[in-house]
Amino acid sequence: MHRRIIKALAIAAAAMALWEAVVRLDLVSQIILAAPSHIVLAAAQDGGVFLHAFATTGIEIGAAIVIAGSSHTLAAATAPVLSSIFAIPLIILYPLLMAWLGIGPLSKIVFGVLSGFFPIALNTIDGVRAIERRYLVFARSIGATKFQTYARIIFPLALPAMISGLRVGTGLVVIGVVVTEMLASLGGIGYLISYHRTLFNTGHVYFGIMLALVMSVAVNIGLTWLDRRIGLWRMREQAEG
Amino acid sequence: MPVIEVSKLGKDFSAGRARVRALADVSFSVEEGQFVTLVGPSGCGKSTLLQILAGLIVATSGEVRIEGERICAPMPDKIGMVFQDPTLLPWKTALANVEFPLDLRGIDRTTRRKRCAALLELVGLSEFADHYPHELSGGMRQRVAIARGLAQDPRLILMDEPFAALDEQTRTRMGHDLLDIWAKTGKTVFFITHSLTEAIYLSDVVLVMSPRPGQVIDTIAIDFPRPREVDIIGSEAFGRIRNRIWHLIAEAPA
Repeated sequence: MHRRIIKALAIAAAAMALWEAVVRLDLVSQIILAAPSHIVLAAAQDGGVFLHAFATTGIEIGAAIVIAGSSHTLAAATAPVLSSIFAIPLIILYPLLMAWLGIGPLSKIVFGVLSGFFPIALNTIDGVRAIERRYLVFARSIGATKFQTYARIIFPLALPAMISGLRVGTGLVVIGVVVTEMLASLGGIGYLISYHRTLFNTGHVYFGIMLALVMSVAVNIGLTWLDRRIGLWRMREQAEG
Repeated sequence: MPVIEVSKLGKDFSAGRARVRALADVSFSVEEGQFVTLVGPSGCGKSTLLQILAGLIVATSGEVRIEGERICAPMPDKIGMVFQDPTLLPWKTALANVEFPLDLRGIDRTTRRKRCAALLELVGLSEFADHYPHELSGGMRQRVAIARGLAQDPRLILMDEPFAALDEQTRTRMGHDLLDIWAKTGKTVFFITHSLTEAIYLSDVVLVMSPRPGQVIDTIAIDFPRPREVDIIGSEAFGRIRNRIWHLIAEAPA
């Protein structure tokens, strides 16, 4: 095990050194390719906006559950509307959001929420709808309260579908936030990337890209973990038919 | 006092503009400790009747009394239910599934664990307490569902075609074991099936229902001695009862 790690690290270090050398020896223009050292030097940190956007995902999930769970009829009625809104390229709404909310973090957060909301909401509605009536009959027969039925039966049953919605949705949240920061902003990773690109600070641009990647990967790892813990029974059940 | 007392029960459904009469004037009663089975052609309203007995749906006319109390909502402490599909929660172990109704009622962990482990033993699944539903066979899952139906210690168990999805051998075996459980617990069982053999083999009394609108057209006492062995199914007396019920159902006006 240790050996493998050491080997992997050695390979990574060699690749870095090669990369550094290629740039240092001016084999490639520094504007096109930044050296690792430049990236490390380009110490910039700005993740608050993203954290806000991710926190709001929780609210989105809650809203989606309320819409989907409180009434099957309501979910059936709203789903087509949600689906058709989902078909609109949301970015065309950004100029409006900017006019309403300014170019600060708020307009990015709102846009991020908008980007992620639809896949999450639609998947959750689907997940809740797919719950068979027999579970609800069972819940009533054992005298479960409305709250217990939602919290202990409907929510866990819909969770796998919600997670697959989250997978798509959080990806879109990251894109939405970074893109709008690039369009017009005073801060954030997208802003940094865009700003330093105009100044030919390629190291900073790379660092921004890395931060955005780390953000996406972290979200994905989190979701995979959730999926493993919660979705396992669902996969086995499906495999069984 | 009968455990179940059904008088002049009627149920209409509205299908679009038309009204469909599912049950018409159903009356019968079930005494404490009896094993009573309701048979009838599919679509005769058997399941509707069971859902009314369980307080899950409301009758259009007439009334149902469970232990003397008029039912209009589920009474989980008086009635345990077992459905055709085990409807286990897939993320919970067998034991946790049995405990679930007690968990919702806020019964403390030690008490419910002890009681439910005993129930799992009763249905022969002690060794599988920590298994998840997808790790169990169809018959085992239904055993867990039976144990769960017994968890709140109701005096009456309603069973809606619980073995219909199982293969024949498993089904026969489950019926045999159910009689054992019934004998050990002294519960009153109201059982729905469309297998005449199953009905006769299991029951003290078989209620025969007509096609829609469902009505109880005959009440047949089955007096084979207990405990019963599967062999009686092949006997002549068994065949006679079977034929009698078959003709009742076949000749009822459709």
